[in-house]
Amino acid sequence: MGDRLTQVQDAVDQLAQQFVAALHFVKMRHDLETLGPKDKIRDLPKQDPQAPPSEVDSLPVDDFRAGLTELSRDLITKEQQIEYLISMLPGLQNSEKDQERAIKELEEDLKAAESQRREALKERDQILSELDQVIRSIRRP
Amino acid sequence: MAEQEQSSSSTFPNPPSFWQDFTPENLTRIEQLRKSFAEANPTRDVPIRLSDIPDSLINLQPPAEPKDGKWRVFGEPLSLDDKLQTLEEGGITNLAPTHPSRQGDNATPSSLDRRDVPRADHALELKRLIKSLLLNFLELAGTLSINPGDGLAKAEDLNTLLFNIHHALNEYRPHQARESAAELMQEHLDRTRRETTAVRSQVEKARRVLEGLGSLTIPAEAVRGAAAAAGEDAAQVAEELKALDKRRDAELWAATDAAFA
Repeated sequence: MGDRLTQVQDAVDQLAQQFVAALHFVKMRHDLETLGPKDKIRDLPKQDPQAPPSEVDSLPVDDFRAGLTELSRDLITKEQQIEYLISMLPGLQNSEKDQERAIKELEEDLKAAESQRREALKERDQILSELDQVIRSIRRP
Repeated sequence: MAEQEQSSSSTFPNPPSFWQDFTPENLTRIEQLRKSFAEANPTRDVPIRLSDIPDSLINLQPPAEPKDGKWRVFGEPLSLDDKLQTLEEGGITNLAPTHPSRQGDNATPSSLDRRDVPRADHALELKRLIKSLLLNFLELAGTLSINPGDGLAKAEDLNTLLFNIHHALNEYRPHQARESAAELMQEHLDRTRRETTAVRSQVEKARRVLEGLGSLTIPAEAVRGAAAAAGEDAAQVAEELKALDKRRDAELWAATDAAFA
């Protein structure tokens, strides 16, 4: 979980990966068709199901369609996500000058707050020493 | 032989030969040189590199900056001004050369005005790029379904778009850095203020405890004084005083507890 810019960049990279994955799905899982009456779909010998298929491994038409729909939906979702992330980027409304001004103001405020804190600490030390004196002065009757 | 084997099998290269120059004597000598420089030029800060230095101490100060501002580390070229490479330098088509944030400093007549522009249009541009990325993918899929050979050009477009997006995002980084700096400062400010108020309230409590203690001691002493004045039986007075003391103690602790609660 990086900063928001890195999130956008990661999301863009993921989108690109999804592109590749979608194309790969289409390439590997489509149905085989004959283009003319003389064409014949060759019967490939059954492969070891564990090994990655080197040839087209057709899915039933419905499943293939469902897969396509899901992949496209994922692509759109990712795109929306990226747009949302972009609109969430920090300081979209600020220009560089605004930022500089804000930082300067914060610096002043910080100085003031720091001196106040020091004052409070001094006060605390003083009251502490007073308390200390009182406690020391208590004698058991 | 054994040593040789060790050096060839070690993960990191041996330290440079000049590490042996950093002896305590040499360190004190350079320290003295620096001190004398500071005394000779009280108005100036002591520079990191002293110009006139004996050859034996030359390795004790960092080397000069490379004159052309470029050097290599582990085969990677580095430069003094660490700037973001422009898209053109990387051999990528710049898709938004007219955008104010994409023009070089010399191209814009007023680079100062540019700093005034809020980054909202930057986001708009990014969104456009993302949208055209999606559209281009759709086109790529279409092209591939008709003529797979033509897909390469379209894939090149996607590549360009991706590079442009990443470049735009990287351009945004300084802006985000400033924004996060401001955020951090705000956080620090809030924390300091919280701490101050907390300390103040504690001080206030302690003060109240002190006042409470001050008001409690009075009645016991008054009784003591009154008893002495009356000249009553000594034993009875002692008994009374003891009881009073006990009560006073209890009151005192109750008051303290109440104040600290």
